[in-house]
Amino acid sequence: MNTDVCLSCHEIERYLGEEESRVHALRGVSLDLEPGSIHAVVGPSGCGKSTLLYVLGLLDPPDAGSVSIESKPMLDLSDNELARKRNEFIGFIFQFHFLMEDFSAQENVMIPMRRLGRWSEEKMLERARALLEAVDLADKLRRPSRHLSGGEQQRVAIARALANDPKVILADEPTGNLDTANSERAFELLQNLVHQGEKALLLVTHNPAIAEACDWIHEMKDGYIVASHPRGTRTPVF
Amino acid sequence: MRFLVHRKRALLLSLAGVVFGVAIFIGTQAQTQGFAKYFIDSSLGSNGAVIVRSRFRPRSPMLVPPKNSKIQAAHRSYFEGIDDASAIMRVSRQFSDVVSCSPVLRGTLSARSGFENATVDLFGIDPALHLQTTDLSHQIVDGNFDDFRNNPNSIILGSKLASTLDVNAGETVQLLPPGGEYRRLVVAAVARSGVGSIDATRIYSHARVAQTLLHKPYTASMIIYKLRDPQRAPDLAHHFETLFQHDTQSWQEREESTLQLFLTLRVSAAITVSLIILLAGFGIFNVLTMTVLSKVREIAILRSMGYRRIDISAIFLWQGAMIAVAGSIIGCILGALVTWGISHIPIRIRGLLYANHFLVTWDWRHYMWATLLALVAVTLASYVPARRAAELPPVATLRGSSV
Repeated sequence: MNTDVCLSCHEIERYLGEEESRVHALRGVSLDLEPGSIHAVVGPSGCGKSTLLYVLGLLDPPDAGSVSIESKPMLDLSDNELARKRNEFIGFIFQFHFLMEDFSAQENVMIPMRRLGRWSEEKMLERARALLEAVDLADKLRRPSRHLSGGEQQRVAIARALANDPKVILADEPTGNLDTANSERAFELLQNLVHQGEKALLLVTHNPAIAEACDWIHEMKDGYIVASHPRGTRTPVF
Repeated sequence: MRFLVHRKRALLLSLAGVVFGVAIFIGTQAQTQGFAKYFIDSSLGSNGAVIVRSRFRPRSPMLVPPKNSKIQAAHRSYFEGIDDASAIMRVSRQFSDVVSCSPVLRGTLSARSGFENATVDLFGIDPALHLQTTDLSHQIVDGNFDDFRNNPNSIILGSKLASTLDVNAGETVQLLPPGGEYRRLVVAAVARSGVGSIDATRIYSHARVAQTLLHKPYTASMIIYKLRDPQRAPDLAHHFETLFQHDTQSWQEREESTLQLFLTLRVSAAITVSLIILLAGFGIFNVLTMTVLSKVREIAILRSMGYRRIDISAIFLWQGAMIAVAGSIIGCILGALVTWGISHIPIRIRGLLYANHFLVTWDWRHYMWATLLALVAVTLASYVPARRAAELPPVATLRGSSV
């Protein structure tokens, strides 16, 4: 196994639903994420993209296969240990930012830090301020998140995903709810943060421009990864 | 906390339920126990904590003495009066629980003043000993106890009896024993014990006068005791009965029926008020359940960020705890104000008890029980929503939100 891989899955099988509505969502999926790399997962709706993201994010246990963080298997861990791994190693970004509306931008960014319990209150405030500065929201630290625009809210969500300095960022259509200008801005931001911080980013996207800008594109269909292309080697299909 | 306070009005209503539940619990307990305590204090102040009465001996020797005291009593022969009251008192004073004791010669006779007649309960006493053993001197509402002590031909009348006979201190009353002749005695004082049955019938005279009036060969028909801890009266009564072979009664046994009545009232009030707290608990349950339903997305996000199930439960349990603590503190303060207010409500009671306003008792245990009840009700009400929140599968919510 490649020791540079920070997150990997091997031969993942995942079924969703019960009885007649049971769907084979992931069929023998394997994937390695290296530090400093950006991976896009593309494919039609229902092909298993989000399911793969949740399995890799230790939120959804697979029916078969393995998930490893830094070569250590995760699926034997207890629910509390998995939660701790998520908190330390993984940052999530969702299409609908899912911020706490009554909390300020700074407080939202501090939520993962509070669970981690590694830093003092002052240090957390300082760190949240620095992260929001990095996403160009230094002037809106104390503004309640419900009073931010859609683009600003998604940038707060990006800052929050980076709060505990995770090795891996998993993003489920992070620009899906943004206009073109904001989509490009958010993606650029993610690119810079990933490359500067030597993190791995896996994003699910329907945006071809964003997919083409990633280091790897993994095409999914009917629960399979049907093809994986390094940047610039794939013929655009959408 | 801010994560949960968006339902402010419902939360405030739940908090108000706890506050009023705790306050009313304290108020009703203070009030019902106030009357009971007044009755007990009055009874102890007039009749003592333990009474030693007639001598007895087993009617027939029993090989195996029954454990039930009523069966034991049924197999006794009683002999009226106490033969050697001085000896019994001398021995009983050796007990550390005994503060003092007073011999009483008791009997029934008629009293007359002008055209008014009444059947009275005569207590022939030694004024000095009775003063040590009872609150008689504090019960005087007209006249002077020293006048009674210094004049063997004087009496003290219960306040209701004085009213019935229409006499005041300084006037005279004629006492008529069965088969005897009227004897005129001066009313030295009028006493009010607060217990209606005592105040309506009781006359105190010097023991010698009572012995003459009642034609008794003995000087005492009972001995009453003042104890350091009246709660120990049943044990001591049982011990005295075995030791002296005289019928002995504790105040708890003597006032059993009235105490049962007060206890029933207290329990009834406590049950009624507990329902208010339980209703507040249902309110909290409802608020938290609705909050869980409205926060499923945020809960899923917290889980994705590494928050454990127990962290999610803690958020809701914490909110319940905040309501319980805030409700209990405010409720206790309001309960104290309610109790103070109740104690100032004028009410004319002239039956079982004598009172001109509501009687209350200030007891820290009322506050403790009210707080405990609130904590238990709110914890139970918070537990189910908290558990439900913790069990929510985050992926189902996230997947549903991303469609």
